[in-house]
Amino acid sequence: MYFELAKRNLMRTKMRSVLAIIGIVIGVMAISSIGIFGEGLKLSVLENFQDVANEIIVTPSFSAGYMSIDRATVSKIEKLPYLSLVTPLKNKQALVETESKRMYLLVYGIDQNAVDELFEIEEGSAKLRGSCVVGNNLAERLKLRAGSKIVVDGKEMRVSGILKEEGARFDINPNKAIFISENDFKEIFGESGYSMIIVKVAKLEDIERFKDSVDKLINLRGEKIKVFEMRTIIERITEAFAQINLFLIAIAGISLLVAGVSILNIMLMSTLERTKEIGVMRAVGASRQTILRIFLYEALILGIIGSITGGFLSIFGGYLIEMAILQSAKYLFTTATIVSILEGIFFGLITAVLSGLYPAFKASKLEPIEALRYE
Amino acid sequence: MIVKLENVYKIYISGSEKVYALNGVSMEVEKGESIAIMGPSGSGKSTLLNMIGCLDRPTEGKVLVKGVDTSELNDGELTKLRRDTIGFIFQHYNLITTLSALENVELPMIFKGVSRHEREKRAMELLKIVGLEQQMNRRPTELSGGQQQRVAIARALANNPEILLCDEPTGNLDTKSGEVVMDILTRLNREQGVTIILVTHDPAVAEYAQRMVRIRDGTIID
Repeated sequence: MYFELAKRNLMRTKMRSVLAIIGIVIGVMAISSIGIFGEGLKLSVLENFQDVANEIIVTPSFSAGYMSIDRATVSKIEKLPYLSLVTPLKNKQALVETESKRMYLLVYGIDQNAVDELFEIEEGSAKLRGSCVVGNNLAERLKLRAGSKIVVDGKEMRVSGILKEEGARFDINPNKAIFISENDFKEIFGESGYSMIIVKVAKLEDIERFKDSVDKLINLRGEKIKVFEMRTIIERITEAFAQINLFLIAIAGISLLVAGVSILNIMLMSTLERTKEIGVMRAVGASRQTILRIFLYEALILGIIGSITGGFLSIFGGYLIEMAILQSAKYLFTTATIVSILEGIFFGLITAVLSGLYPAFKASKLEPIEALRYE
Repeated sequence: MIVKLENVYKIYISGSEKVYALNGVSMEVEKGESIAIMGPSGSGKSTLLNMIGCLDRPTEGKVLVKGVDTSELNDGELTKLRRDTIGFIFQHYNLITTLSALENVELPMIFKGVSRHEREKRAMELLKIVGLEQQMNRRPTELSGGQQQRVAIARALANNPEILLCDEPTGNLDTKSGEVVMDILTRLNREQGVTIILVTHDPAVAEYAQRMVRIRDGTIID
């Protein structure tokens, strides 16, 4: 019956109640929509990195005085049974000349299988022997096509293929590189150690296993190589997005704060207007707790209606923002969206109840005789 | 003795002045009595009624209801006393406008925690006593002054109080409605032994009571 009383009290001042609810709706929508968008943004960025979660980059330990990785170390790594890919790479800055241009570029010496494994060809073929494969941006810049001739550190080579343009990568940037066979690399630049090894594990659990193996087999008597997990980057990106998202949500939370102040105002007005009524209720036997309850229920009803409506509408809000910024709403229907909506609803409810607390408390503290005298 | 006042003072400080709303009032009311407290405006009659009804606390002196010293009760206990022992009838009816007549009568029972079925039944019975069972679903704004006051009487009787306190119960009513209301109150007193203490400035209303108490300037003069 107290709920019923609260409901009828809110109906008495319909416009006021509706305006308070709208405030909560906007606040909840802001929080949930931004939460949904933030999650979508993170997933959109991480999509590029999903396939490299199981990748580990091995580099020489420069700080320990190692400039390259020797063949023996590479062999030890290649012998580990739980690795799905081991790609040792050599690289060097070299003078590259075309018909019209000459510039210093990064030239990679790589195994044929590795090219097929790591990259995608856009034009021509990935054949390395006697030829080279050129990155997309570089090819555009130097106006190269499959079949073009270039000179790499004095050696004439034919371009066998152009790679597809790739998004950001942390292991190697193929867009601006030239890839040649290991033999050609040796022929041009002479004997040298490896500058990095790209390693992939079959299962993510094996990453720790690999680090253990490196400590026991290679770095036992000093750090020869450094091991860098790509998933650390994913974790860092996820952390960064979480922080950014939290910040954005906090900003959105300001609108909910405003809604809360509006509820506080409305309920204080209500308390004042109903002073006499409160006095009557106290006179006929309502305790302070009863009065508190009735007023809190009023705040709760406003909160429930506003929060649920806002939560529901935030799906549209999230959809609009994702379409506007990501041009895709494929991340909309995920668990994270439901969580964002629930979070928004939760904060909406809390705001409503907390805002109603002071007016409810004030109403309950009224002395019956003073309240009855109020005109 | 159902109500006893022992040397009760109610003093208000107004600037540097003290105003004695009640100036050493002592009185006793027996169970089943009907008393009219009469006095001019500002005499302290309403203050006296509020004191008996535990709506206000004395500055000095004691108010005993059913032998209990009300100054020793906390807010919760006073509320309970009001709820279970005392019924209030106000000059301006003071019904809750968002509730129907039936629901208004149910209100004290709701506060007492009476079950829905029980309280609906009793509320309907009470409305029947005051002759308003046909209007039970109407809101106060749809009732006349006399009808509203009758609903207020029914409400005051909800928890079977032993004492009914009436502050100018006919003050806002026409003569005929006033008579109807006073008849109901008289019947309650005579047939059910409800103690009635009413405050009035109208001698015609005071006639209904068995005893009259006159008050002036915060002091009982009769």
